[in-house]
Amino acid sequence: MNPLLSIKNLVKVYGKKTRALNSISIDFYPGEFIVVIGPSGAGKSTFIRCINRLVNPSEGEIIFDQNHIEKLSGRKLRKECSKIGMIFQHYNLIGRTNVIKNVLHGQLSNTPLFKSLFGLYRHEDKQEAVELLKKVGLQDEIYKRADELSGGQMQRVGICRALLQRPKLLLADEPIASLDPLSATIVMQQLHTISQEKNLTCVVNLHQVDYAKKYATRVVGIKKGSVVFDGPPSQLTDAIIRDIYEGKESQMELKNTNGMQSEIEGECSIQWAGGSNDE
Amino acid sequence: MMSDQAIHKIPIDKRDPKKIFAVVAIIFAMLIFAVIYLKISFIEMFMGLPSFVLFFFEKFFPPSTANLKQYIPEVINTLGYAVISTYISTIIAFIFGILISKNTNKFITLRVITRGFVNVLRNIPFIIWGALLVYIFGVGGIVGILALILVTIGFLSKSYAEAIDEISEESLEALRANGASYLQILFHGIIPQFVPAWIHWTLFAFEINVRSSVVLGLVGAGGIGVLIDTNINLFKYGEAITIVAVVVAIVLLTELITNLIRKRFVN
Repeated sequence: MNPLLSIKNLVKVYGKKTRALNSISIDFYPGEFIVVIGPSGAGKSTFIRCINRLVNPSEGEIIFDQNHIEKLSGRKLRKECSKIGMIFQHYNLIGRTNVIKNVLHGQLSNTPLFKSLFGLYRHEDKQEAVELLKKVGLQDEIYKRADELSGGQMQRVGICRALLQRPKLLLADEPIASLDPLSATIVMQQLHTISQEKNLTCVVNLHQVDYAKKYATRVVGIKKGSVVFDGPPSQLTDAIIRDIYEGKESQMELKNTNGMQSEIEGECSIQWAGGSNDE
Repeated sequence: MMSDQAIHKIPIDKRDPKKIFAVVAIIFAMLIFAVIYLKISFIEMFMGLPSFVLFFFEKFFPPSTANLKQYIPEVINTLGYAVISTYISTIIAFIFGILISKNTNKFITLRVITRGFVNVLRNIPFIIWGALLVYIFGVGGIVGILALILVTIGFLSKSYAEAIDEISEESLEALRANGASYLQILFHGIIPQFVPAWIHWTLFAFEINVRSSVVLGLVGAGGIGVLIDTNINLFKYGEAITIVAVVVAIVLLTELITNLIRKRFVN
């Protein structure tokens, strides 16, 4: 199978000396649900943002769907970006705009300016927007202003917006880091279910190792700008996790590290994971 | 005794008191210098107060309301100047605001040039613009409107630019990520979030313009100010005071209305 996204020797240097990414090479295949874990400052966010050029990489190649993303600019770049959906930690909705318009922003790249100005989105886009909102349980909030929603609801609008792009690849940068434990579970669950349904390839940055183990088909561990682990969650042992988070153990977000892991399931662990992550 | 001494050794302020004293002394010295240089006599000022009050009540009262109806067209003119100038300035200032804000304009040179131009407009008081423009266009309404437009553009462009700067980069990032064009980001991302600030500053500019268009009359640039000037020159103090009262009423009413609009729309 050909990879959907192929990254070769990706380097990002901030300023003159700060190497956020240290020559990362990795291939992502269609249908994978990849969770990227690592301590904060490891380069997770920079990595995921290089894929759709929210951050411009310093060196390396990003081949998405046979296109060299790193070489594109202007209209061509926007066209490729529209095939990549993105979900953000802080939702990044337009607060004073209502929910359905926020979701329809996902189709802006396929709508001429004057049509979007007058709200003349295609009927099937509007229909899909409503269906997506129903699917995430927001059918009663369609005309509410986005800033009237709770964090969990906002993130679900964010998911709908990304999905309305009908993307080939879905990126999520810490989608549940700002949410309370219950909302985090719901959002993560919906993200997982919908991407499975649509057979979407997902790359998700997470703090929470337990969520990574639960949902991922493949886990990538990043430490100091380099990939230090790449494999199925079953191979992710406590020793490896400890190595990834070396020196930043407080961020491990593990239920506990002394072998009692399997005994405490569900709520308790989720609360611990979410609670300590209110940034 | 020991503890007493220890207490005295803990300063609660590390700043040097001499420095503060020096600053206060310099500010006070400036006042003294100004008073001496201009030969201002506070005693004279104080002694003149009774005759001022006497003059005021003798000449200006009772207010003459005989010609009240004749003021109406000038009142409407004055408000008209404020409306037109605010309207035109808000459109031009919005474009300048976009050019000045680093959120919407990535070209530093263009940003600096626009900001410099706007600063010139803003820092020349409208009364000077009025006096200059009277030489070019002659006495009349167009001078008043032009002077107000120039200053209002200066004022609003800067306020708009600051409001656009405050819009978080994050919310715009999402639109950029899903492939929206520059204009789409502007119209769907920036403008919706800019609306409250836009209403706030534009109403504020309107208030200022109502007040300014009164003063513009004094330099012959049209409006109700002309009437005040003419009547005082003709020693018709009674009428002048009525017009002043009308002006105060207009200004207060404008502020009342703009405040109501603000409460209704800005949140």
